[in-house]
Amino acid sequence: MSEKETSPAILQFAPLNSSVDEGFWHSFSSLKLDKLGIDDSPISITGFYGPCSHPQVSNHLTLLSESLPLDEQSSIASTSHGNRNKCPVPGILYNTNTLESFHKLDKQSLLKAEANKIWDDIQSGKALEDPAVLSRFLVISFADLKKWSFRYWFAFPALVLDPPASLVDLKPASAYFSSEEAESVSAACNEWRHSDLTTDVPFFLVSVSSDSKTSIRHLKDWEACQGDHHKLLFGFYDPCHLPNNPGWPLRNYLALIRSRWNLETVWFFCYRESRGFADLNLSLVGQASVTLASGESAPTVPNSVGWELNKGKRVPRSISLANSMDPTRLAVSAVDLNLKLMRWRALPSLDLNVLSSVKCLLLGAGTLGCQVARTLMGWGIRNITFVDYGKVAMSNPVRQSLYTFEDCVGRGEFKAVAAVKSLKQIFPAMESSGVVMAIPMPGHPISSQEEDSILADCKRLSDLIESHDAVFLLTDTRESRWLPSLLCANANKIAINAALGFDSYMVMRHGAGPTSLSDDMQNLDMNKTNKQRLGCYFCNDVVAPQDSMTDRTLDQQCTVTRPGLAPIAGALAVELLVGVLQHPLGINAKGDNSSLSNGGNNDDSPLGILPHQIRGSVSQFSQITLLGQASNSCTACSETVISEYRERGNSFILEAINHPTYLEDLTGLTELKKAANSFNLDWEDDDTDDEDVAVDM
Amino acid sequence: MNSGREVSDGRLTVEGFSVAARAFADKWKIHNQSFPPWSWVPLINRTLHLSNQEEGYLSLEEILILSSLEESPEDESLNVATDCLEKEESVDHTILVQNQENEAHYYDFHIVYSSSYKVPVLYFRGYCSGGQPLSLDVIKKDLPSCSVSLLHESKWTFITQEEHPYLNRPWFKLHPCGTEDWIKLLSQSSISTGCQMPVDLYLVSWFSVVGQVVGLRIPLEMLN
Repeated sequence: MSEKETSPAILQFAPLNSSVDEGFWHSFSSLKLDKLGIDDSPISITGFYGPCSHPQVSNHLTLLSESLPLDEQSSIASTSHGNRNKCPVPGILYNTNTLESFHKLDKQSLLKAEANKIWDDIQSGKALEDPAVLSRFLVISFADLKKWSFRYWFAFPALVLDPPASLVDLKPASAYFSSEEAESVSAACNEWRHSDLTTDVPFFLVSVSSDSKTSIRHLKDWEACQGDHHKLLFGFYDPCHLPNNPGWPLRNYLALIRSRWNLETVWFFCYRESRGFADLNLSLVGQASVTLASGESAPTVPNSVGWELNKGKRVPRSISLANSMDPTRLAVSAVDLNLKLMRWRALPSLDLNVLSSVKCLLLGAGTLGCQVARTLMGWGIRNITFVDYGKVAMSNPVRQSLYTFEDCVGRGEFKAVAAVKSLKQIFPAMESSGVVMAIPMPGHPISSQEEDSILADCKRLSDLIESHDAVFLLTDTRESRWLPSLLCANANKIAINAALGFDSYMVMRHGAGPTSLSDDMQNLDMNKTNKQRLGCYFCNDVVAPQDSMTDRTLDQQCTVTRPGLAPIAGALAVELLVGVLQHPLGINAKGDNSSLSNGGNNDDSPLGILPHQIRGSVSQFSQITLLGQASNSCTACSETVISEYRERGNSFILEAINHPTYLEDLTGLTELKKAANSFNLDWEDDDTDDEDVAVDM
Repeated sequence: MNSGREVSDGRLTVEGFSVAARAFADKWKIHNQSFPPWSWVPLINRTLHLSNQEEGYLSLEEILILSSLEESPEDESLNVATDCLEKEESVDHTILVQNQENEAHYYDFHIVYSSSYKVPVLYFRGYCSGGQPLSLDVIKKDLPSCSVSLLHESKWTFITQEEHPYLNRPWFKLHPCGTEDWIKLLSQSSISTGCQMPVDLYLVSWFSVVGQVVGLRIPLEMLN
């Protein structure tokens, strides 16, 4: 049997699409966290839609932050009725607490329940009073508030006409109306849209008289419209833009029309706009043919369809908002912004990448360690390791800025552990770890039983130094700095040394290691290469590091310093490191003196000069820079010592620890002293220049 | 009492901003009809002393840019096994099967007054039709190429992501730290008014520069 060409096609509707504004998820998350908790009872929400406003893109049913029941105040006036592009539509949200229960929801019965509500509204007449209820919708969702991702699925329940409506005719409204009528219809629509009272009523009657006068009426005025029209159309805001199909809201509209008014032929008007005004080329007028119900007294609820497809598939949609909601990520981008602003406005050549990737090892988590860590964080440095064997004592929190009272209660937390915790609390994206370990020191002899564990500590320290880029020597004794200085020189790692006296401080950067230059150059002229290296903490010593702690009184053992010093020295230490990192020669950068500088920015480094040593005093409120070359007889960084360490390893370490004179013999200091003692010097009239005297700290 | 009718230091008072905003919106409506008009969003409970007007900001929303489908973000739920909905819901022939058309990108623009810099700031964001926010990389692809190069070269402005002052969510903005300086340059080059710029014209002049960065041009007539 051939198809009759004249038989009308089935009326096909373009599905409605959802759009969920980010703000809705933000508000919903707050609601869930602050109020709902695990309560998963359904929530009444409001969706918004308006007529199509663009010839190539359909409008959506949108959820905004205002869609949720109003609770908290916002600083914006809430959207009240009368917004022309936000016709409110009632909906319901079922949010589950787990992904499993999301998948287990009985979607068909939920859809049916909402469709029933629409049917009831049609039967009771509520749909005539408030026609927006015809577009009632349903959303199911699962909000994962740990990962800030949201899975959701919309349904736009549509009552299925059985048999389906057929399309007799469909054409642009401008083709259907005469030009006089078209003008009048446009004007009437624009007026309807302009008035706050009617602009958000999405279903209406369009009555055109024989003399081309149009009036637009509410659906409930249906009876009043009978008789005085030439053309009577059922108008509705059509979100769809397609030229050959009406939008989804027409479905329940037809169900309403059929049920209330028993019409077999329905003329409908798909109202669409452009640039804020009625567009009768885009708008459509169509004629549908509907089969009336077979006259039963109690009409039954039709079937319903309406689950939204996701790119053609019957799966839910999902969205991840971690970038805008996860507080840690927000903190990271805020901190990064701060640094970028510094670069943008003040230091365009600042290399921020090197700062965010540098790994810093802090030996000592006391007054200096805490201050250094905080200033490092300010520069965006994220990777910090603490080494400290002590515990937080009651006197510590006031001077050691990472600790609080809680850390000292009871037996006291290990500093290395407490410091890491504190950093994370300040900025969650820190990558920080703590090592509870003592640094082996020369001049503190060890018994043979202790040897193994001491050597293990040495190995551990050596590994730590290898795996970091910059090392801060922030311990509270001279001798504890010896081994780290040696290891840094050996591994050619940046070492920044800070030390405090009672009212004075010293901050310096160690020079490059002795084997940092190529072997060829080394063989040429050892003296020459040494001259080019900057010195380390021990280069000026004439004695090897010794036990400085035993036999001192208790208050001398615990270093007592003016509290202002640690923040000053700690901050200078970090600024010195940043200077090294920004300098093109890095650890090999030569030392500048502030007296010799040109003032203003050096071409080498955008940050200014890069001194070798800084010494200052709060008793004078003064500060100077110094320059010192590496010494051939240095007990920590000289060629002699480093090669001996490389050759003999552990036995060298043990000997240095147990016999301090060993280092003096090795480096020739012993010889030097003998020579000095045999020399008679006339000390009268010797004006020692302050700058030449090495202050022993 | 400073009526603030003219601006000589590149900055605006908050009352001046309200005045300039309305002037800007009015001129836009008249001269720039290819775009929808800007609307004024009042902030509740914050009225200005002098003029009794509300504080607020200008909003231009849902500017549509069509782009090719490749731009659309990854939707991981597509990889989820098809739901058992398949069996329950029979195929309904009255539903039009839609082809995948171009992805629509929507942009919202807000002109907000910054009381710390005392200048207006342009905030913006982009999102797909489903509501998913667009990243800055995707947004830059939507910008006309002259805008991208302007951003790259300009020392006056750059895009940062910061919390919207009233909406409590991150939006992109053109950083205002240079605004005062280049507004002063603009006012100096205006021959008729010497170094003064009438408040009415402030936002128009400001937008003539800033708008270019985000691909929004204003017709020359607006500058008269």
